[in-house]
Amino acid sequence: MALSDTTIIRRSMSSRMFSTVTTVLTVAVAVALMLTLLSMRDSGRRAFERGTGNMHLLISGDASPLVSVLNGIFYADPPARPIDEAKFNELRNAFPASFLIPTQQGDSYLGLPVLATAPEFFTRFSPDPTFNPDDPGTAGEPWSFADGRAFEKPFEVVFGARAADETGIRIDDVINLTHGTDLSRKAANRAGAFEPHVHDEYEYRVVGILEPTGSAHDRAVFSDLTSSWIIHAHDRRVLEDSSVSITTEADLLPQDRLITGIYGRVATRPGSSVSALIPAILSQLRSDPTITVAQPKEEIDSLFGIVSNIDQILIAMAAAVLVSSGIAIMLALYNSMEQRRRQVAVLRVLGCSQGRIFGLVITESAFIGLFGAIAGLAGAFVGATAVAGALKARVGLVVDPVFDPRTTLLVLLGTVLVAATAGLIPALIAYRTPVAKNLRPIG
Amino acid sequence: MTANHTHALEIRNLRFRYPGAQQDTVDIPQLTVSRGERILLTGASGRGKSTLLQLIAGLMDPDSGTILVDGQDVHALRGAKRDLFRGSKIGMVFQTLNLLQGFTAAENVMAALLFSDAPKREHRSRADELLETLGIDRPDSEVTELSIGQQQRVAVARAAATRPAVILADEPTASLDPDAADEAMNLVQHACDSVGAALVCTSHDPTMAERFERRESLDALASGAIRLGA
Repeated sequence: MALSDTTIIRRSMSSRMFSTVTTVLTVAVAVALMLTLLSMRDSGRRAFERGTGNMHLLISGDASPLVSVLNGIFYADPPARPIDEAKFNELRNAFPASFLIPTQQGDSYLGLPVLATAPEFFTRFSPDPTFNPDDPGTAGEPWSFADGRAFEKPFEVVFGARAADETGIRIDDVINLTHGTDLSRKAANRAGAFEPHVHDEYEYRVVGILEPTGSAHDRAVFSDLTSSWIIHAHDRRVLEDSSVSITTEADLLPQDRLITGIYGRVATRPGSSVSALIPAILSQLRSDPTITVAQPKEEIDSLFGIVSNIDQILIAMAAAVLVSSGIAIMLALYNSMEQRRRQVAVLRVLGCSQGRIFGLVITESAFIGLFGAIAGLAGAFVGATAVAGALKARVGLVVDPVFDPRTTLLVLLGTVLVAATAGLIPALIAYRTPVAKNLRPIG
Repeated sequence: MTANHTHALEIRNLRFRYPGAQQDTVDIPQLTVSRGERILLTGASGRGKSTLLQLIAGLMDPDSGTILVDGQDVHALRGAKRDLFRGSKIGMVFQTLNLLQGFTAAENVMAALLFSDAPKREHRSRADELLETLGIDRPDSEVTELSIGQQQRVAVARAAATRPAVILADEPTASLDPDAADEAMNLVQHACDSVGAALVCTSHDPTMAERFERRESLDALASGAIRLGA
């Protein structure tokens, strides 16, 4: 095969392999850092937006709307202040709702949060923000089952897609729920007050497994609300009378019928996902001091408004790392120029023009940037997956790392450009290498 | 542009002085070298032998005068055009060989062809052919893996690869023992013969003189083209 400029560049890089590899790694770290940050920012936001689904309101007893959203939709922590069924019934008549779905959290299965709710959760609510339950089929998608169906009676459960994957659960499997979640357990342990408690007196049958939605609900288990009330009422009754062996719906007292969150949607016109009534309804509901009313989408927007400054600082830091990796490229090539003066002089004698010498060094520099960018992209996949795993484990937020092709391409091209720019000074040195002086015998 | 096409090299009124020097380093009123002719340029160290070769190669610009290689005024060409001309028409052999480290023997030869106007598809075959002629049976070995004698052959093959009009040899035997020097000069002269190139060789080694029918002293050239020998 004939010799080419690429071969000359390749030989130059391989002749100082250690320097080349460390420089490429420096670039790769910077690119990985930047792409991971950008990916997690976009994916995180999408995950949060997806999670809120087609609800307009989230009503709870939590201390603030943001906490309410994080707990009630993203399973950050079980809500601490429940509201009773009477309040739920009162709210039902307070405004023209498309749906008002009660939920209760507090139990878990193998560390996965359990959301006890009503059957409407699967027919009216959807993680797809564009789904209008009053006008189905026009836009958006309702829940879809990979296997089985929604629960229809007490003690039936449905698994989110990831929850099913992680536990290996199948239709008709029988499970027991655990009182408390991983997060509540850790908090209780810190307070020295936790006693493990499996609701082993009641068994649930798995009747459905959902298709993935890319929302936090994928990692949840959904049970029937009445059965959740029953198993907790049973705990209460056993404490009161140890001879109690069975509890049924008939034994439920008003204080057993607790709700930790209500997913609400205001009725909208066909083809629209918003209502002009929302501000007035919000105002009306917020006048009630016993409840907290959140608009999930607005809370997510304000959350990202808060973190966007930190986000920008992190991206600026990643950009600074990228620039410093450009300086590393420049230093590596600059130092190598001292050893390569004779090679440059020989190439010039053989007929290589000054412009071509300049181009060879710039291309070598750009190659280092390109290799670093490619390695960085691979690193970003690993990094984003690790961060997504940490988010899932720590706050239960399901984030699917996605790399926007346009942004990714811009970062990669930017990296190559920074690298090529870093090669300017070494290239200029090579360009100006005095030929005669560097052909003389050494010594 | 063309004075006489039978001349591989023609120099007229060439003067060059390094900045700050008291006298001209190179001063050659007239010198012609025919195609395929071999000429030895002699002179004491520091007399400007290497400088003259670099002026001929177009690596330095003279203060005045003209250098024609294969009928082309080298210094009338600028930038990349002069580099391409040098790559195509002038081969160089150095005392220190100046091979490209980290490259194979064949790649060193092909490096000369890369910057010439030789068709790319011929590069490899021409390099292999030349190396074989000069006794290199491991063209894909890195030059550092070859003996000094073999490296010398690679350097000669590289100088002859583009079938240049003239090969400039700058003290090619200065660091060699007599036997090695003899072999090296045989190689250079054989390469010149095989591609029909003129050879302009500089040396301050008196034993080199007997190999050349034409010998010129730079001092004599400066004072009016007195021919030695022949």
